[in-house]
Amino acid sequence: MTGTRPAPGARFFDEAAETRSRADIETMQLERLARILPHAYEHSPLVRSAWDAAAVHPRDISSLDDFYERAPFIDKTTIEHWRTDRRDPWGGLLCLGESELTTILSSSGTTGAPTLSPQRWAPSDGPVPAGLSRDLWMMGLRPGEFMMMVIFTFRGPAFGMAQQFGATPVLVDYDADDMLRFCELSLRYRPTCLYNLSSVIVLAMADACERGGYDPTDVFASYRALVQAGEPLSAKARAVVASWGAPMFEHTNVGDVGTAFQCPEHDGLHYWEDDTLAENLDPSSTAPVADDERGELVATTLVNGTTPLIRYRSDDIVRLTRTPCACGRTHSRIWPVGRKGDGVVVDGRTILPIDVWPAVEEVDACDLGLFQVIREAPTMDRLRLRVGHHASDMHLAGIRDAVAGAVEARLGVVPEVELVPDAELLRLGPPHKIPRVAAR
Amino acid sequence: MDGRPLWAIAAYDDGSGRVPWPVSHTEIERTMGGACSTLAGLGVRAGARALCCSVLSESAHFWPLMIGTMINGGVFSLADATVGDALRVAMFARSLQLHAVFGVNEAILDGLDDLGIAYADLFAGIDVVGAHPGAYERLLAAGLMPHWFVLCGPAVAIATEPGGPARVDPTEWTLASDGDRILVSNLQPRAQEFVRAPTCIRGRLVDASGFVPNPGGAVPYPTGEM
Repeated sequence: MTGTRPAPGARFFDEAAETRSRADIETMQLERLARILPHAYEHSPLVRSAWDAAAVHPRDISSLDDFYERAPFIDKTTIEHWRTDRRDPWGGLLCLGESELTTILSSSGTTGAPTLSPQRWAPSDGPVPAGLSRDLWMMGLRPGEFMMMVIFTFRGPAFGMAQQFGATPVLVDYDADDMLRFCELSLRYRPTCLYNLSSVIVLAMADACERGGYDPTDVFASYRALVQAGEPLSAKARAVVASWGAPMFEHTNVGDVGTAFQCPEHDGLHYWEDDTLAENLDPSSTAPVADDERGELVATTLVNGTTPLIRYRSDDIVRLTRTPCACGRTHSRIWPVGRKGDGVVVDGRTILPIDVWPAVEEVDACDLGLFQVIREAPTMDRLRLRVGHHASDMHLAGIRDAVAGAVEARLGVVPEVELVPDAELLRLGPPHKIPRVAAR
Repeated sequence: MDGRPLWAIAAYDDGSGRVPWPVSHTEIERTMGGACSTLAGLGVRAGARALCCSVLSESAHFWPLMIGTMINGGVFSLADATVGDALRVAMFARSLQLHAVFGVNEAILDGLDDLGIAYADLFAGIDVVGAHPGAYERLLAAGLMPHWFVLCGPAVAIATEPGGPARVDPTEWTLASDGDRILVSNLQPRAQEFVRAPTCIRGRLVDASGFVPNPGGAVPYPTGEM
C-alpha cells in the first residue's frame, strides 16, 4: 500500500488492491508470472528440470491460458526425491547462492520430518507479506492496539505481522501452562485480536479461566477477532469459543505459497491474488473443476524468488470460488476440506478423519479430540484408530468400548481402538496440529 | 518512549514467575548493536549458522541475537525450546553444520533423551553451545564444553568462552546481588525501568556485568503461575 493509512472506520486497508476487477487481477498475475517464471527456470534446478522434461520454456507462456495448458506440475514427492536423490537439502528450489541466505526455517513436520525452508530477509522488512495488514484490518484490528500472540516460534516471528501493522504484540507461549498469564494479560492490555487458537489451546484457556477464577466473557470482552489455524477446531472447542462471545476467523496457508483469512462475512477464506496464483483441479487429473466445487489446490507463487513453487500440487482438497465476496473484496476465496489421501475405505465406504472426530471427542476421557486413523492401505478390512485419552489406566477398557461404540453409532463400522495418553499424540504435533493419518 | 507503539509485551522471570515486560523499538534496535559485538566475539560472522531455541515470550531476548546474526552475515534458524521440538533441534544440528546454538534448556535435553538421541554426539561438532542453567550441567556431565547462556531477568548473559562467566552487555545493564540472587539495572532508557530488579538467577558476581550461575542456578517457580 502507498500513502497514508485509511481512517479507522474504513472498510478496507487498501481498497484499490482489495477490490480490483477480475481483469485487473489477471493482468497483474500475468505481469508477475512474466517475471517469476524466467527467474525460476534460470535458477531453480527442479523447475528447470520439470519444464525441460515437458519441453516448455517460459517464453512459451504469453497468457494465463498458456500457463494453465502447458506449465508442468511439481509436488511434494518430486521435491522430496530431488532432495534425497541429489543430496540437495533445498529440494532443487533454491534460486540464490547459500551465501545470500539470512535465515533457514523449517516446515511444521506434520506429515513427515520437518523440511528446510531457506529465506533471504532484508534487515528492515523481515519475512512479513504486506497482504497480512489487509487481513488484520479486515478482521477489525487497528494500528495502536494490542494483538495477543499465542504461537510457537519455529515458523519465524509471527509477531512481525502486528508490528508491521502498527500494533503491539503481547507474547504468550504456545503452552497450556501459560494460559493463566494469557488471562491476566488479556485483562491488563485489552487486546483486540488473538492469533492463534487450536482445540488444545481453547480448552487450556477455558481451564485457566476456571482455575484462576476469571470470567471468560470478561477475559475475551475486548477481542474483535480470534484467529484459528492449524486444523479445524473440534465441536467441543467451537462451542467453548462461541460461549466467549468473540468472533472467530479461520486462517490457513494456501499451498505453501500464500495465506488466507476469513473476512467478517465468514464465507470462505480470502487469499491475495497479488502474490498467489491458485488453481483448483481434479485431484486425479489436470482438469479444472467448476467454480465452488471440491478439487486439489495447485499454487504458484508470484513473488517468492528465493524458493519459487510453480504449479505446486498441494494435496490439499478445497473448494475455491472467484465470485466476489459480499464484503466487497474481489480476490478468490477457499474452503479447506481435507488432505488428498487421508481417506480410508472400509466396507466400501470412504472414511475421513473429519468423520471420526465427533465420535472421539464425545467420550469424556478423549475430549481433546486427539486421534489418528491408521491407514496401512487405501482399503482396509477394519477401521483402526489410535486415540488419545486423559484417564487412569484402570478405566481403559471402558473408554475403549465407549469410543468404539460412538464410532459405530456415527459411521456404522466397529473400529479397532488403541488408546494412548494424550501427551503421546501431542508430542507428534508441531504443536498446533497432529498428523491425523498414520501408516502404522 | 520513541513515538512508536511498543515493540512488544514480552516476559521475563523474576524468580516468582513470568512477569510482563513492555519493550520499545528503540531498545530492541539498540540491543542489536550489542548483540552483533557479542556474536562476532563468538565467531558468528559471515557464513556462520546459528540456531536459536526459545519460546515466544522470550522473543525480546532472542530477536536481537537473530537479527545480529543476520547483520553479521550469518544465517539463523529457529526451534521451540520445548520437549516436543527436540526433533527439530536435532534436525538442524544434523543438517546445517551449525556454528552455534543458543538457548539449550532442560526441556530440549529431555526431548532428546526421549528420542534416544545422545546430545553429547548431537552437539559435539558445534563450536558454541549456549545452555541455560540446568542444561549446562547436564551437557558438561556428558563431556561437552558449553557456554553459559542465561536469561537474567530482561537481560541476556552469554559467556565469551566455555566455563567463563555469563556476561550481559555492559553498556545496557549493570548487575548486583542480594545474597546469591542476581539483580539487574538498566543503564540506557527503556520502556520499563529496572533498578536492582530481582531475577530468577542465583549465582556469584565476578564484576558488574558478569556472574557464574550456581549449580542448577535458576530459582524454581510453579510452572504457569504469574
